Order: sequence, then C-alpha cells, then structure tokens
Amino acid sequence: MYEFTPMGWLKHCVFHPVEGFEDLRWKKQGSMKIALVIVFLLFVNMVADRQLTGFQFNTAYVKVFNVVPLLVQSVVYFFTWVIANWALCTLFDGEGTLKKICIYSAYALVPYIVCSFISIFISNFIVEDERIWMTAIYYLGLIWSVVLMIQAMKAAHQYSFTKTIVSMIFTIVAMLLILFLAILLLSLFQQVYVFGYSIYTEIAYRIRG
Amino acid sequence: MKHPIRKLLSVSLAAVTALSMSVTAFADEPYNSYTYDNWDDAIPSQSAYRVEKTVTGAEMKLSKLRDPAGGCYVSDKAPLTLNDARDLSIDKAANEMWVADTKNNRILRLDLATLEVTGCYSGVSGSSVEGFAAPQGVFVTTSPSLGQQVVYVADTDNSRVVKATVSSSTQLSCVHEYTKPEEALYTAQTFNPKKVCVDVAENVYTVVSSVNSGSVQFSREGKFTGFYGANRVQVTAAVIAQRLWRMIASDEQLEGMTRNVPIEYANFDIDKDGFIFTVTEVDTDTDAVKKLNPAGYNIWNNAKGNEYKFGDLTGSQYDPLTKKSHVTRLTDLDISDTGLINVMDYETGRVFQYDKECNLICIFGAKTSTSDQRGTIANPNAVESHGERVYILDGSKNDITVFIETQFGKHIHQAFALYDEGRYTDAKEDWDQVVRRDGNYIQAYVGLGKAALNEERYSEALDYFKTAYDQEDYDKAYKYARDAFLKDHFTLIIIVIVVIIVFFIVKKMLNKRGIRILGFLKKKKQMVSVGSAAGISVNTFTQYKKDAEAEQEDQAEDEEEEEGK
Repeated sequence: MYEFTPMGWLKHCVFHPVEGFEDLRWKKQGSMKIALVIVFLLFVNMVADRQLTGFQFNTAYVKVFNVVPLLVQSVVYFFTWVIANWALCTLFDGEGTLKKICIYSAYALVPYIVCSFISIFISNFIVEDERIWMTAIYYLGLIWSVVLMIQAMKAAHQYSFTKTIVSMIFTIVAMLLILFLAILLLSLFQQVYVFGYSIYTEIAYRIRG
Repeated sequence: MKHPIRKLLSVSLAAVTALSMSVTAFADEPYNSYTYDNWDDAIPSQSAYRVEKTVTGAEMKLSKLRDPAGGCYVSDKAPLTLNDARDLSIDKAANEMWVADTKNNRILRLDLATLEVTGCYSGVSGSSVEGFAAPQGVFVTTSPSLGQQVVYVADTDNSRVVKATVSSSTQLSCVHEYTKPEEALYTAQTFNPKKVCVDVAENVYTVVSSVNSGSVQFSREGKFTGFYGANRVQVTAAVIAQRLWRMIASDEQLEGMTRNVPIEYANFDIDKDGFIFTVTEVDTDTDAVKKLNPAGYNIWNNAKGNEYKFGDLTGSQYDPLTKKSHVTRLTDLDISDTGLINVMDYETGRVFQYDKECNLICIFGAKTSTSDQRGTIANPNAVESHGERVYILDGSKNDITVFIETQFGKHIHQAFALYDEGRYTDAKEDWDQVVRRDGNYIQAYVGLGKAALNEERYSEALDYFKTAYDQEDYDKAYKYARDAFLKDHFTLIIIVIVVIIVFFIVKKMLNKRGIRILGFLKKKKQMVSVGSAAGISVNTFTQYKKDAEAEQEDQAEDEEEEEGK
C-alpha cells in the first residue's frame, strides 16, 4: 500500500478527499511539526492578506496595523477549534485524540491557505474587472478545505457523515462558549489586578506616611 | 541731551518695532479649518475663506431710510438694524443683494459691492394686502417674459407669494399673487410660504411650512400644478417597528397611531441648468441634500450605490470652540455661479462647500462662542455666494458676514473648475499650488494623478492615486499601465514563454532516454518510514537492510582485493 514521506502524506490527504484521512489514520501517520507550521502559515496568510493584497482590492484600514486581531483570528481560533472539538467529541464517542484532531484539522486547512496565497499574489496583477479570478480561487480553496475538514473529522472520530456535521456545528457553538469564557476570565483577572494594584498603592502611601 | 542720536535711534527703533508688530498682529480666522480624509476622519487643512467684513445696519447705511434726502426715505421711525432676517437673494445681472428683513416686515435692496442700502420695500402696491407680514423668503431674477427684474417675496404671514417689479426705491408693483391652492390635492389647512424659487419657465416653487409632500408648485399664471420633490421617510428602527404593528393593528388602533411622514425640506436653490437643490434641516441621512431634475427625481440618490455625504461626517461632533457636541442641521444651500454648492450648517455655523460631483472642497465658518468674535455666526439663516465671496446672514446678530476666498481657496476653486470640466492637465499647476500649501489635500492628488494618467505617465499616476487612496482611479490607471507594460515587453514575454515550453519538451525527451534534469528534487521520495507497522514497509525495510549489507559486503570484497594486491 501507500508509503510516503510526511510531506507525501500531506499531499495524499489533500488530493484524496474521500479516503486520504482514513489512510492517514490507518497508517498512524501525520506530523505535529508540519501541523504547527501550517497553523503558522495560516497566520502569515492573514498578515499577507492585509498587507500584500493589491492596492485596488485592499480594504484594510492602513493607518493602524495591529497584529493581535490577526493572531487571534488564525492561531487562537484554530486551537479553540481543536480543543472544543476534542472536548465535545470525547463525550460523543469520538476516537480522535487531541493530537490527531490538531494534525488532521491543520492538514485540512492547506488548500485554503495555498489558494488564498495565490489569490493574494494575483491580486497584484489584475484589475477590478477581473476580480472574479481572485474570488474563484479563494472560494475554491475555501470549499476544498471545508470538504477536507469534514473528511478529517469523520476519519479522526470514526463518525458517520451526519454525526460529523452535527459535531462540527456544535464545535462552533462550543468555540463561542470558550471564547466568551476566556474574555470573561480575562476581564475578571484584570479587575483582580486593578484591585491588587490599588491595595499596593494604598499600602505604599501609608508606609511613606 | 547727551546722546541725541542714540535717543533718536531708540525712539525710531521702538516705532519700527511697534509698527511691525501691528503689521504682524494678523487676525487669525475664528475657526479651525479641517477636511475629511478617505476614512472620514477630520484632518486639519488650510483656510479657503477668510472673514472680510461683517456688515450691520450701520454699515448698510440704513440711516438713509430716515433721511428724506437719502434717496430711499421710508419714515422717521424706520428701524436702523435688521431684525431676524431670514433670506438672501443675489441678482447677478443687476449686481444687487436682496434681504428679507422678516421681523421688520420689509425687503431691503443692497448694492452688492458696498452692501449699502439702495431700496426698502415694506409692501407691494396693486395687491390684495398692501404691507408685508413677516416675509421669510425672497428671490430675485430677470423675468424672460417681462424682460426686467422681478422680485418674488414669500410673504409668510399674509399666506401668499408676491411677484413684483421694482418701480422705485421704495415701491414695488405687483405682477401676480400666488395664494393658497383651492384644490383637493392641497390638504393642509394653512398656506405659509417660507422660501421661494423660480425656474426658467417661471414656474414658482415655494416651501410651505407644515407641508411635507414637497414644495408647492405654481405655473406662471398662478395655477397650482402639484407638489415637487418630496423627501422620503428615513428608515429608522421606530419606523420599521411601526410598520410591523400596523400589520396586526385593528382599524380603531390604526386611527390612533401617528403616521410616519417625511421631513419637509428647509430650503432650496436653483442652478443655471435648472436643477433644483433642496436641503433638509433635521438630521437625516436619507435626503440631506438632493439634486432634483425637472421631474422631481433625485439625481444624488444614495440608494443607487453612490455615497453622497453632506455636513459633518461623524454625526455628532465635539467642538472645542463652543465646548459642546453638535448634530449637523443643514439649513440653507446655495449654488454658486461656477456650480459649487455651499451648504450651511445651522448648528455649527459652518459652511460645507462641494463641487458639482459632491467632492468636499472646504469647510469654513464658526458658531459664536462665549467670546463674541467677529466673523462668528449666531443664527445662520441664509447663505449666498457671488464670485469669490460668500455671504452669511445672521438672524441673531442681525448682520451679514462676508467671507472672501484666500489664495489657497482661489487655487482650489480654479483647480476644481478645470478638473470638473475634464481639463486635468490644465489644472495641474493649481493642484501643485494647493499641495504646496496643504499636503493633506486629498483631491489634489487625485487631480494630479488624473493629469499624469492623461499624459500617459502611468507610474506617476499610480503613485498619486495611492497617496490619495483613490482605489477606483488607481484601478483604471493600473489597467492602462499593465497594457502599456505588456505592449513594451511583448517580445521578451514571448521569448520567456517559448524558452520555458522548450525546456519542458526537452526535459521530457531526455527523461524518455533515462537522463534526468532536476532529478535530485525527487530523489528523497524513495525514503521509507521505518516505524511503520504495516508489513509491506517492514519488507522494504528489510530490503533496505539487505541492500546495505550487500553494499558492505561489496566494500569488504573491494578491501580484500586491495589487500590482495
């Protein structure tokens, strides 16, 4: 049967949407290193989309460049997805481990990243009338990635198709919940910090007399 | 007198200093000039207008009205100031300015150059009512049918619009009276015309208070011909909610409900092409300023995908001068001789000037603050322009503030005039001057970019459009630039493509014969995952091992041979 290098396995998964991930699972393949590189590339893609898209297509607010929202939109969203999916599917008889989910999800993102890089690249050489090419390539990547993601989750958890879809929808809900709690926690800690700091200043003033 | 020369010197020095000080003590404008950039952020700009003078009753020489020898004697008790004057009209042919001096129940005629009074009319002869009662609107033009100057007065409290000719400096004689239409279509109880405007065919349009279906239109003969150019209802959450309630409400409930009606517009003006421009006072995004064609259709329709914005863009804006937040309330507008649009904001006392295509040109003027500075405005009631001047009528300070364009303003206006005619190259010089004075002036870069594009200097044009952040024009310029690039480098591009194709063909041919170009790229593919549990990989692993052993044996044999030698 199949024998590939780790990169070969990635290629196999991307170009064989139907049984690629099943093979990957069967052969117990998939590299965490590559997955992390893909996630990093997702972030780079976000930055490139904002900074390198052709001038006539770029709608970004150029006065301020803040990398944090981009980081959140790529890396944080990805890991929230992984954690939410793992947390949810562990409860629903999913066979995927955290590592597996992370690797498979990252592999599924490859067409999206590649296609948006291509669309960013060609946006520098086309005019408004030809925007359709850009959009087409972008959506090709997006849809391909969605298909792969469904297959990846199906393979990772050994679910039926319907169950996969349902689990993915619930994963998104869980993601929202996690992010909401995270923000809540963040603001709480900030208040605790402010509280601590005011106690510190109070004591400092008293000591100084 | 030990050192008379020194003394003289010091005195003269002091005098020179004092003189130069009085020269350099230049009165700054009472407002901060600003404009909006592509992200609707306010950015500082140069003043395009400065206050030339303020003209009160005294400067208008209203004392002439009490002087029997003055040429326009009215009475010994004629008021010497304006009182809540509401409207201005400029007759360019006769070089006159007419003022509706509302609370004094009179219309004043001023000389446009000096703004001194040349006529005062407190009534019109030959009409149903002799005297004016709080006339709020005035419009002066030359009548094509009569061939002479005619004055239209919106005589508000007398419920009529009077069309009159001037017979002397104190006498108007009535040509026609337009009164409340006695038709079923006109449903309002009252007829209180506030503003009046006349087109080339001498149709009379009048804004009537508490009529919200547009301005009331009369034919020349005084026949009511309908309503013209109504505003639309602004869609707010409340309006949508009421629309929903209406669907389920009973008839009795429906009767009790308030109706959503459009807001009547505050003022209008007509340009020389016959388009009527209306302005709506209450803060509304829907129909703040409209340009109506003769059919009453709004040409500047935001619903068609364009975005026409008027007044301050931030909605409510904090003004450090008056220390309060303002909500834009556009009260009057004026179309200048060259087609520029001046829109007056009642709330801030600012005039927003736009070109024909609704590009913001400049913002000037300020509301009276606690320190009652000259050139600030308390109740701006009307705005008019003529040549390089803009006149603002103040209903509370009872004066007219005259703004005159600065050198910067002159360059902008010249540049815009040429730009709007499409003479981009001619406008270049003026845009250069504008940029020299205000590097933030975005439209200048658009103008320079278009000039460069016209002259086929594409990379320069692209640079300008990028600076102006004008994506639409950049796109156009890029298309031309790309075509030009392809044309210039056609041969090179073809050669490169051919070389690449030939390379691949050759490669394929060589591959067939077993020679590999760039083969090293694919070498690593043969690697095997050692840890795999599948049997086949174990087989290959053993195969690999065998190979390695065989190689070792070969080497050993070689070594033996060497030893043997």
